[in-house]
Amino acid sequence: MANPFSRWFLSERPPNCHVADLETSLDPHQTLLKVQKFRPTLSDWVHYLFLGSIMLFVFIAYPASWILKILCYSFLGALMIIPATSQFFFNALPILTWLALYFASSYFPANRRPPITVKVLPAVETILYGDNLSDILATSTNSFLDILAWLPYGLFHFGAPFVVAAILFVFGPPTVLQGYAFAFGYMNLIGVIMQNVFPAAPPWYKILYGLESANYAMHGSPGGLARIDKLLGISMYTTAFSNSSVIFGAFPSLHSGCSTMEALFFCYCFPKLKPLFITYVCWLWWSTMYLTHHYFVDLMAGSVLSYVIFQYTKYTHLPIVDTSLFCRWSYTSIEKYDISKNDPLAAESNDIESVPLSNLELDFDLNMTDEPSVSPSIFDGSTSVSRSSETSITSLGVKRA
Amino acid sequence: MPLYLAVEIVLGISILNKCSGAYGILALFTGHPLDFMQWVAYLWSVFTLIVFAQGLYLIHKPNLLVFSQICVLYTVDTICTCFFTLWFTTQWFTLEGNVDLSSIATDASSTASQAINYNSIATGKLAARSTDTSGQGASETYEYSITILITLVSLIFRFYFNFILASFVQELLHHPKYLVDRDDVEQDLKNKPIWKRLWAKSQKGCYKLCKNLLE
Repeated sequence: MANPFSRWFLSERPPNCHVADLETSLDPHQTLLKVQKFRPTLSDWVHYLFLGSIMLFVFIAYPASWILKILCYSFLGALMIIPATSQFFFNALPILTWLALYFASSYFPANRRPPITVKVLPAVETILYGDNLSDILATSTNSFLDILAWLPYGLFHFGAPFVVAAILFVFGPPTVLQGYAFAFGYMNLIGVIMQNVFPAAPPWYKILYGLESANYAMHGSPGGLARIDKLLGISMYTTAFSNSSVIFGAFPSLHSGCSTMEALFFCYCFPKLKPLFITYVCWLWWSTMYLTHHYFVDLMAGSVLSYVIFQYTKYTHLPIVDTSLFCRWSYTSIEKYDISKNDPLAAESNDIESVPLSNLELDFDLNMTDEPSVSPSIFDGSTSVSRSSETSITSLGVKRA
Repeated sequence: MPLYLAVEIVLGISILNKCSGAYGILALFTGHPLDFMQWVAYLWSVFTLIVFAQGLYLIHKPNLLVFSQICVLYTVDTICTCFFTLWFTTQWFTLEGNVDLSSIATDASSTASQAINYNSIATGKLAARSTDTSGQGASETYEYSITILITLVSLIFRFYFNFILASFVQELLHHPKYLVDRDDVEQDLKNKPIWKRLWAKSQKGCYKLCKNLLE
């Protein structure tokens, strides 16, 4: 009797199909052979040099003992070399780089950091969106709204990336998880770089300090989440946000970026549930502003960053989804999107109706043809066949003797 | 890069930004006062959001009438954005000049200092950071420069996006596959509700305008 896994997930699996199989080998020689055969393209060079340089920067900048740092990097290297683990960790390289940079961020010396802006975000928000939307939404608060805001911002946000990854892995096409790791990692990595290069105070700062100048000795605030701490009788959010690695990292909002990325991937794989995923993003946007953690302009920056990276990933990395298939094991092959072939402005060479007018010679004279025009007549005998009827017969596949 | 990919990005970014209207309108429930221009800006944003969304939905199978409407409305929206930007810039600097925000800060600073000294972990990190905090906050000049830079860059992108959309509609106009059959449009409208007829009429008007200007 087949076990539940085989019954649910492998029932549609095509015979002798291995596209969804996972690597189980522990032999590092396989990875070394792959590396020897690997011929990097320009984008590969850019990708690995960029991530490598950030890893090197973190290695130098992180204030831990050299032995500990060497051990950590060696362990990571070992995970990359063993085929069974490298299939996950190697593809998660952008995520690992982001995490390394994020946790190193709090140790950058204050005198080498860029100045903290306090007025830029509320000013840009008013100029571009008419008002501080965070002010509008946080004008009146109550316990019900507090919990409603806390759920996506303080709870779902931290678990969602793992849940999304697991669902994509099982119910999405094979290799979609690689694309997710790439897009999610790069979005967060670029976000953290931007937060470090352009430190900006969140809305709670304006509530606490007005538009007074900020400094790096200041501590973060849980904003509206302090009410949740009070409600639940804990100090989890106050502690966490007071000691955040990037206190003045309001711009861009990675809460918004992550939720948008998750929603985009889910919309891509499960298009029928689009309204649900869009609702989740809108819910999270509202909660971040209600809890005074972000301005709307931060949310836009995070979401736009996610959207652009997702679009790039979709057309260069992601496999095409077949919504009629149940899970990854149902796929027989992995197909990628053909940008040129699917261009709605491209004309097929054999399709005369799709050729742009500019390519056709439209000013020819109809009377310039070599053969004289013969009009069909009711008096035509059997030997006289008009050109129009000849075409009709030929088109039907009937050959005349 | 094919033009349709750029249009997809342009429409996606524009739609995300237009969501601001929906959140602004939530002021109805929170009691935050909004002036007339804010209401106009937020309602206009919601309207344009709907128009742009249909373009994103049809990007792989474009319709010339729909994209003509989007192109015209996007152009009108660009003009409106310039106007709103100028208006709200004045509002911000007037507000900043009139309200002494430092008084708000003084009231709140006692609460903040309580929160800062909340736990023992805080003390460790405080010591790790530089004690000389002068110059860590941005100067007024820096704040204004960055504000102006972001505003200008967003407007420049806005114009660039407008040109991308116009180029796409121009390509559609030159492509025989997307020729508009006017008789079909007329016939389809006969038994439709008035708002659909008005919608189709506006699309047709936009199509004629695009045809005259771009073809």
